Amino acid sequence: MERFFIELSNMRLQLAEGLITTVEVSIAAIITGTALGLFVGVGLAFGTRPVRWPLRAYVDVVRGTPVLVLILAAFYILAAFGIHFTATGSGVFALSLFCGAHLGEIFRGALEAIPLTQIEAGKSMGLKMRQILLLVLLPQALRQALPVWINTAVEIVKASTLLSIIGVGELLLKTQEIIGRTFLTLDFYIFAGLIYFLINFSIEQVGRIAERRLAGH
Amino acid sequence: MTYAFNFDVIWANAGNLLGGLALGLALAILAIAIGAAIGLVAAFAAIDGSRTLRSCAAAYVTFVRNTPLLVIVLVAYFALPELGVRMGKIESFVASLSLYAGAYLTEVFRASLTGIPSGLTDAGHSIGLTRFQVARLIRFPIMLRNALPALGSTFISLFKDSSLAAAIAVPELTFQARRINVDTFRVVEAWMAASLLYVSTSLLIAAGLRRFERRFPKF
Amino acid sequence: MSNRLKLIVIGLVGTALLSPSAASADKLTDVLARGKLIVGTGSTNPPWHFRDEAGNLAGFDIDIAKIVAKGLFDDPEKVEFVTQASDARVPNVVTDKVDITCQFMTVTAARAQLVNFTIPYYREGVSLLLTKDSKYKSHDDLKAAGSAVTVSVLQNVYAEDMVHQALPEAKVDQYESVDLMYQALNSGRADAAATDASSLKWFILQNPDKYLDAGYGWNPQTYACAVKRGEADWLNFVNTALHEAMTGVEFATYRDSFKKWFGETPPEPTIGFPAELR
Repeated sequence: MERFFIELSNMRLQLAEGLITTVEVSIAAIITGTALGLFVGVGLAFGTRPVRWPLRAYVDVVRGTPVLVLILAAFYILAAFGIHFTATGSGVFALSLFCGAHLGEIFRGALEAIPLTQIEAGKSMGLKMRQILLLVLLPQALRQALPVWINTAVEIVKASTLLSIIGVGELLLKTQEIIGRTFLTLDFYIFAGLIYFLINFSIEQVGRIAERRLAGH
Repeated sequence: MTYAFNFDVIWANAGNLLGGLALGLALAILAIAIGAAIGLVAAFAAIDGSRTLRSCAAAYVTFVRNTPLLVIVLVAYFALPELGVRMGKIESFVASLSLYAGAYLTEVFRASLTGIPSGLTDAGHSIGLTRFQVARLIRFPIMLRNALPALGSTFISLFKDSSLAAAIAVPELTFQARRINVDTFRVVEAWMAASLLYVSTSLLIAAGLRRFERRFPKF
Repeated sequence: MSNRLKLIVIGLVGTALLSPSAASADKLTDVLARGKLIVGTGSTNPPWHFRDEAGNLAGFDIDIAKIVAKGLFDDPEKVEFVTQASDARVPNVVTDKVDITCQFMTVTAARAQLVNFTIPYYREGVSLLLTKDSKYKSHDDLKAAGSAVTVSVLQNVYAEDMVHQALPEAKVDQYESVDLMYQALNSGRADAAATDASSLKWFILQNPDKYLDAGYGWNPQTYACAVKRGEADWLNFVNTALHEAMTGVEFATYRDSFKKWFGETPPEPTIGFPAELR
């Protein structure tokens, strides 16, 4: 145990660097994925058939494929087509696709749950469809989807561990680097698990509070 | 850069890929069976149990849901032997995935149990059934029916999560695709084939489950 | 809506087409023009490539890459390391993500169809690790003890056969990780640990009073760096840099690194007629 604490204090900067990468990658994927998800959700709910069809295919294929396969595929396939992303770039790309497909489906559901009369009401007030979407529909859909959105954030943080497999220096790979040299396998894996738990538990608590606030309204 | 497709390597490895798919399904089936047993116990503990039991169940769910599966898998395979718990690759992966499934299924079962109208259980008590009989004859079957859709989607998630077994070299589908990727560098074909197999299997399972659900009336 | 979609699609395709880095005459010229070498390697396997206490990449593979950088720019530090998983070694070279991969890569004829290997810089094998207080002192002792000996080894499909090549009657106990394999030896559950000669030498170097090498190596495999196929000038340059590090003007660098990671001095180049042409 003493060796663990010595190594932990030696390696604190390494681990902090990994933690920062984990957080950055997750935030990037959540932001891009949310933008993508909104686009997909609106397209699926209100698009014409030629818009809906490719979006539906995207959502179903990505949701039916394991995230690890998405990550490996993005890492190797993009390069084979001459698109030079770094490992981190392909990782964020894959996580964003994953996040976008899940959120797209959720936003679609939330948008479709809003009564059509609201669109009619908006039109009768002389609003354009774009205005109705931005001012009336999206705020409600976002609010309804908030708990699931926060849950997706937890999933993305968990999925970011898979980027260690393509060589992204996030928390898990940094942990494995330390284990490779020190052989403190149990100690450092448990430590990493604890850090992930704390991140996700905090996100979950924020989600609970947000949910309670929304229910209060 | 133009990429010349060549699917020969996929046909040559079709046996491995399908074998990997079957192994992935087997891992998911084992995990959902064991996970359901864990979930059942934990869900009843979370609802009917003493305060200690309730907080144990809650701690288990919170802890597992917020920990990455890959970390659980790596701990089970590489670190537990330090404590004298040694399992083979497949056993340790099934144990990890079951533990993971158990947490999600606890939530599923708990929600289904809470959703049972109290009138039904009251009726059971009034005809003289013991608490255990009410649980076994009334609450359990209704819970199971209510949980059916969520059980189905959990199974599909577990099937996809079985891909993580590749990280400890269990030769399931993702592992096989990775091998083609490395050995032949037919990257696009390998990942297209893997994705296609995962997606079509998930869709088939989903369709099968929908038919199965329709055969049972909902409460 | 659909017009906007079109714009986005056109944008995406446009980016995809523009992204490939402007390819010029050849790899060697590209690298020289860039002013630094991009090397693919790992970060979790001492003594080959790992993070030292300061968090910097260190190891024999890293030193080999620095020898190439020194040849290019007369500065061993002009290297950018890209950490990659073992199974990305070939793909990253083929798709130009890295100029060269130096990551304990075993040369095989099958792999040589996908990449060009440089000249070898190490020959790996399997050796047996013993504790100093063990009643067995050498490979002969172990072999004579027959089935009374238990050998710990890293789990692998071929592990049992591999051990039996050296100790035909020994019991084989497979472990999930290198540290567990060493622990089995420490706790007496195993009489010897069979592992890569390089890891074994590194481990003895870390714990000089506790362990010894049984003095028998088998299962040879050659380690070399890999570059993209069809870059003759580049391959030739790297080969020259490595060759002169093992036999010529840069030998001191190679020797010091070899000694640092494996605890042994490699044979000095003979003066006079070049030995490799004999």
